[in-house]
Amino acid sequence: MKPAQSGKTPPVPPPSLEVLMRATQAGDQKAYRLLLDQVARRMRGLVRHRAPWLSAEDVEDIIQDILLSLHRARASWDPARPFLPWIVTIARSRITDHGRRYMRRTALHLAASDIAEAFSDMRADNTAQNVVNLLSVRRAMQDLSPTERQAFDLLRLRELSLDEAAQISKSTPSALKVALHRAKRKMKAVLWTEDKT
Amino acid sequence: MTHTRDASHATSALIDTLSQDLRPVAPLAHPIWRALGWVLVALGFASAMVWAIGVRPDLSDQLRDPRFMLEQGAALATGFCAAVAALALTIPASPLWLRILPLLPGAAWISALGVGCLRDWVNAGPAGLVLSPDMACFFYIALVGSLPALVMALMLRRGAILYPNWSLAAGGLAAAAIGNFALRLFHMQDAALMVLVWQMGSVLLLAAFSGALGHWVLRRSALDPTLS
Repeated sequence: MKPAQSGKTPPVPPPSLEVLMRATQAGDQKAYRLLLDQVARRMRGLVRHRAPWLSAEDVEDIIQDILLSLHRARASWDPARPFLPWIVTIARSRITDHGRRYMRRTALHLAASDIAEAFSDMRADNTAQNVVNLLSVRRAMQDLSPTERQAFDLLRLRELSLDEAAQISKSTPSALKVALHRAKRKMKAVLWTEDKT
Repeated sequence: MTHTRDASHATSALIDTLSQDLRPVAPLAHPIWRALGWVLVALGFASAMVWAIGVRPDLSDQLRDPRFMLEQGAALATGFCAAVAALALTIPASPLWLRILPLLPGAAWISALGVGCLRDWVNAGPAGLVLSPDMACFFYIALVGSLPALVMALMLRRGAILYPNWSLAAGGLAAAAIGNFALRLFHMQDAALMVLVWQMGSVLLLAAFSGALGHWVLRRSALDPTLS
């Protein structure tokens, strides 16, 4: 920290969110822009903290919903009360909405896959693409040691649990984990080279 | 990466649009004051309906009956408190007590009708608890509650739509309770079991129906900035 120099005015602290929101209710566009910028920045952190698995696009999607809700409901803020609890309640509601929409989309996707499989000769997934992927994986597995290949086969292709895989391979779960890690590293290198060519 | 940048640009563009479209707004009054205003409108409409249909001939006798007055008082209090709760549910971070306010008068209303059933049974035996169809109750409650429900929906849309189903359920309960209050001023049906089943049943059914429509009625416009 540098000591304050004489003759220079100390920096003016930015206006609080409450001051900006009061000005917003009065129709001050400049204050509103500042408020929206600050809310977007703060809420981005909140959304990422509450739902760290969301993609950056999904986070922006929620931020836009929060800003629209703020705009729509700006009269519902009481100038005598703090601003943050007000906006955080809105943000929580919009995160929940997003979760609901995501669940609905997933359910619809699964239902569509079911219908496609039940009433069509074609598989819902792209079969040709799956075959290419599987062939690439099989080719990449050729470079693995027998232990690594078995670990990958049991844990990733057959999707067994660590205990089940340990019983079948007569190994220990921790040895399997190490073997799987090595297998993945080797295969990643092979598949990445293949992808580039 | 490009998608992320696009999404971030979209947020900046939205901020530009919203700030350019800003118009001044007056902060909403406290939910209690707004509910009071709504009750006055609802009672005004209910009075007009009672006048149009005609008051029951024994109304002056009923007004001297403490049981009738208690049930009517509880219905009116439930209507008012449910209106407060509905409006409070659209205010982010509003106090919990405002949101659960109708529980107390609602419980008092149901209890009063329950005690009435017990008294009818003690006084007249099984004959005091006869149940016969009375679909007019549902129709009249819905009719008297229709305009107040519409006004309530418009008031709710001015707030933040956080719990649309609960907000509109509470709003529907408020309108139906006022409808029931008015119904008993022109409809001669005072047997406690009949009131409990047909009138209270209609009120709860209408509240549940309103709640089911909450998302559709309130959310459709809630995210459209051009509407504000």
